[in-house]
Amino acid sequence: MENMQAVNNFVAAYLKKKGFKEAEQLLEDLQNKDSAPIDFHNDPELAKFIHHFSQSEDDVARYQDGYSKLRSWTYSSLDLYKHELLRVLYPVFIHSFMDMVAKGHLQEARTFFNNFREDHELMHSRDLQKLEGVLSQSHLEEMEFARSLRQSKVNIKICQYSYDLLLQYLHKTQSTAMLGVINEHINFQVSSGQPSSISDDAEVVTLIGSCQDTANQINQKEIHWGLLEDSLEERLEKAGGLLSDSEKTEEENKEGDGDETKKRSVESGKQGASTKKLKKEKALNATAKSARPEASTTPAAPRVKAKLPLPLMSTEVEQSILEDLRNRVQLSSVLLPSVSFYTFLNTHNGLNCSSISHDGSLVAGGFSDSSLKVWDMAKLGQQGGSSILQAENDSTSSEHVVGPNGGKRSYTLFQGHSGPVHSATFSPLGDFILSSSADTTIRLWSTKLNANLVCYKGHNYPVWDVQFSPVGHYFASASHDRTARIWSMDRIQPLRIMAGHLSDVDCVQWHANCNYIATGSSDKTVRLWDVQNGECVRIFIGHRSMILSLAMSPDGRYMASGDEDGMIMMWDISSGRCITPLMGHSSCVWTVAFSCEGSLLASGSADCTVKLWDVTTSAKVPRNEEKSGNPNRLRLLKTLATKSTPVYSVQFSRRNLLFAAGALSKNL
Amino acid sequence: MSIVAKETIEVIAQSIGINNLSDDAALSLAPDVEYRMREIMQEAIQCMRHSRRTILTTDDVDGALNLRNVEPVYGFTSGGPLQFKRAIGHRDLFYIDDRDVDLKEVIEAPLPKAPLDTGVACHWLAIEGVQPAIPENAPVGVIAAPSNGNTHEQKDELPVDIRLPVKHVLSRELQLYFDKITELTLRKSDSALFKEALVSLATDSGLHPLVPYFTFFVADEVSRGLNDYSLLFALMRIVWSLLQNPHIHIEPYLHQLMPSVVTCLVSKKLGNRIADNHWELRDFTAKLVALICKRFGHVYNTLQTRLTKTLLNALLDPKRALTQHYGAIQGLAALGPNVVRLLILPNLEPYLRLLEPELLLEKQKNEMKRYEAWRVYGALLRAAGQGIYERLKIFPPLPSPPGHTIWKSKEKVVTAVPNKRKASMEPLEDEPALKKIATDGPIGSLALVTTLAPSGQNDAGQPSSSEKKTANRVGKDGQTLKKSAILNQIWKDDLNSGHTLVTLLELLGEGILSFIPSPEMSLFL
Repeated sequence: MENMQAVNNFVAAYLKKKGFKEAEQLLEDLQNKDSAPIDFHNDPELAKFIHHFSQSEDDVARYQDGYSKLRSWTYSSLDLYKHELLRVLYPVFIHSFMDMVAKGHLQEARTFFNNFREDHELMHSRDLQKLEGVLSQSHLEEMEFARSLRQSKVNIKICQYSYDLLLQYLHKTQSTAMLGVINEHINFQVSSGQPSSISDDAEVVTLIGSCQDTANQINQKEIHWGLLEDSLEERLEKAGGLLSDSEKTEEENKEGDGDETKKRSVESGKQGASTKKLKKEKALNATAKSARPEASTTPAAPRVKAKLPLPLMSTEVEQSILEDLRNRVQLSSVLLPSVSFYTFLNTHNGLNCSSISHDGSLVAGGFSDSSLKVWDMAKLGQQGGSSILQAENDSTSSEHVVGPNGGKRSYTLFQGHSGPVHSATFSPLGDFILSSSADTTIRLWSTKLNANLVCYKGHNYPVWDVQFSPVGHYFASASHDRTARIWSMDRIQPLRIMAGHLSDVDCVQWHANCNYIATGSSDKTVRLWDVQNGECVRIFIGHRSMILSLAMSPDGRYMASGDEDGMIMMWDISSGRCITPLMGHSSCVWTVAFSCEGSLLASGSADCTVKLWDVTTSAKVPRNEEKSGNPNRLRLLKTLATKSTPVYSVQFSRRNLLFAAGALSKNL
Repeated sequence: MSIVAKETIEVIAQSIGINNLSDDAALSLAPDVEYRMREIMQEAIQCMRHSRRTILTTDDVDGALNLRNVEPVYGFTSGGPLQFKRAIGHRDLFYIDDRDVDLKEVIEAPLPKAPLDTGVACHWLAIEGVQPAIPENAPVGVIAAPSNGNTHEQKDELPVDIRLPVKHVLSRELQLYFDKITELTLRKSDSALFKEALVSLATDSGLHPLVPYFTFFVADEVSRGLNDYSLLFALMRIVWSLLQNPHIHIEPYLHQLMPSVVTCLVSKKLGNRIADNHWELRDFTAKLVALICKRFGHVYNTLQTRLTKTLLNALLDPKRALTQHYGAIQGLAALGPNVVRLLILPNLEPYLRLLEPELLLEKQKNEMKRYEAWRVYGALLRAAGQGIYERLKIFPPLPSPPGHTIWKSKEKVVTAVPNKRKASMEPLEDEPALKKIATDGPIGSLALVTTLAPSGQNDAGQPSSSEKKTANRVGKDGQTLKKSAILNQIWKDDLNSGHTLVTLLELLGEGILSFIPSPEMSLFL
């Protein structure tokens, strides 16, 4: 019986090779007498069948052969359609490889992989590195990346003609192996008309867990990206720029705040009970937004209500912030900021992160020896003789700690973590610091008391990033355990857990109105989450490597993200689309920051430069002109080179002075 | 098929005490080991990124192992480079050279110096978008700073929509610096402070924005202050310092600088007092001109031709003052021997005829004039001498005859010398007979030994009377054919030079002799 089967298979293969379709069909019919009849006129079905058939035949050389033929055909295809067809090659390549591995032809799979990996090295080097290690069937099942690749289909947008060309080729050459791979793993979105331009090939093969449709669906959700009602900026505008008339403002503030703050303070006390109220508020949001007449003083940016109960702000603090806002320098492409640079010396390669308080008076560094060190720049300035800082914050409390060797240290040492400190963040007023560490904890420190106040445990793996919310009190963390979490300072348990990323969550950033957080991940996506219900509301796809840094524009409309390759992408939050990639850095972009009025973007990179980008032009472009347009709308204004100092953090003060920090490293 | 070979697995198995690992097991373990390794490296890269580094370290690998609850690998955190050694007898087996450390030694060793504590330094990376030229900033910023009108910063970027008129902004510090320097130049150019200022001009990196101001200053002051000798000298020194500064691109300003410099070289009158040593200034300026030509001659190929034309015109115009002639000669001489040979030597004879009356006491009664004439004569002599010296020096080293000839000839030569010396005493004044002159120095006799010509003469047995004969003789006696061909060429060149030398001697008398290197002199005279 087995013999018989083999003979049949052989005959079938022969007929197919020679193109005797009818005879082949007859034979097949004969073989599958008792199985259900197959509709041969439906192309994909037939292909699938043939695919299965070829599987039984186990002819691995066909993958190699078929792929190399497909590749050379693609490369020699018409220029107009070439780039669309090229996109097909990568998924075909990786799936062919995995098919071969799955069938146990490891040797052949390896040679196949090495033969063609160069083609995709440029775009997908990290993925290829991952896949290279796959050496047996069990690895395929074990490796999450491979598994999700196998399970999900890749979406490729392609124009009608390219699609026809491809099908024609596949039929003509009878390369069933390729046809099988394409049918099984690629989902073509055929669009009529012209092929898409090369520039927007954002259709990088990026995994998003579920299929593309759900991503699109997620991106359809409504987002209220407007600023908070009753924010300080708004009040300043209301005050009509009466610089001298501070008393009046104060009174206004008091009156305006009186009831609301009381209410809020009650709310924040009973978090659980307040959710109902919040929901009501949320429902009101939409109406409030539309009902609210656009004030002439606030251009375009709509106002939204906070979904979180906001912390109180004392009037003195408010006054100082208002003072800052009045004295703010208006930056533009012709008026660039002054940059004050903090260089960490003698770090012995141990500096993992740095953070600068909003007024630039405090600088914190997290080290791989588990320590967190904070420098008071106002004091350092006094010693050095020149104080360039606008330290209006009185930071008299933190005294110089006398070191164990009796000598005076220039910094305050915070010890408590038991693993490398990966991130630190100052509260908006500079009185607290949060640090996250590889020991899976987040610690809250007081800069006034120089002591550890709280240790937040919840993550199961190293916490890569922690960020205070713009209003303080709340903070968000990102971890190797693939979640981001929202916390409040007064609770040791997280308030929300955002799960959905397929790999480490590497960075986190708050939206200007505190209702959303954005997370960047090693799965090459940026996600936006609703803080209130913990749902993912946007997926931004387009990066080609791990995302390292995020920044939100102060008007809440845009987001910038920097990745490992040195690319920065500007995203329109409401549409979920990339406005334009900013290219210029040659290495990891560790940090990005918007200036306070959102006209400039500063970025710091491992290539030892701070770059300033003009982003006003893009903001002024009418939104109906969504994509397309010329890609040069955002431009590089200035490159500031440091002296072999990779830039770890950049931060604009409220008065628009730019602070940057980095560790001097000789061995670059 | 995987990076990890089966043998490696076997070796590792043996090292942990499993001796009977089957082949199949090793074979299937190998790919899995590779996979695990890659997995760990993957996470190590993650750790590296979160430590804000671009270089993977052992700490990152430990961190990655830690993530998987694997005990870290000990002993690799020292940071020193690891030494891999090949196991003897195995082709692909390596091990780490891990020496035994004597614990006692380690304990007793004095504590190493504590590393420096971490600190933070603060500086301005940019002020309103412009990078100040301070040591904390990368030096690239200096060049990129706005300079003469066309800003470099916009060159390599995307086209700018609106081009604002670029203002040349000078920082307050630079303005102060400029004021200080100019004041020093005008008032106290002989102070020690001025010397410091010159050093600063020659070395400081942030001065480029000031270059146009300095060139203007120099041009302005030279045109006004031709009577002030010390000022002129100070100005030339400033130009010299600016030329020395490696951080300054002075090319665009050369056209403004050159007229002032040439003025200081060939002006009729520099300084208003007799005591002013304007000769020194001219000498210095000549050196300056030569420096400029050497540095920028290849960029501006008309530079040198224009310069030499100016100088030659000054020299050949009999109406010009002798001081001007002096400057022109010094300038030309500084430009190198070729210029001297091509431009001065052909004009030497007519010029000397012109100069002669000025030199003589009876013809030129004015003491001052005569002094100037002698200065010019001296300069001329020096220029011609140096020209011919360089000329002679560039000849390929004379092919020395085979050793035995030297030794053989040595005795003869030595014996011959006294005769020659005697013979040469007389014709020293007598020009036609000069060809046989040997030398006027005590080293002459020694130098003579090594030269070819006397040996040839001695071989011939009788001193030949003309250079040409010697040449032929040598060619004939000639060592090898190849050598003779080269020699012929050399002799031809030598003859030309010889003739030049003779003419020079005729014109300038024995003053020229001190410029001729002794061996060559013995060859030609």
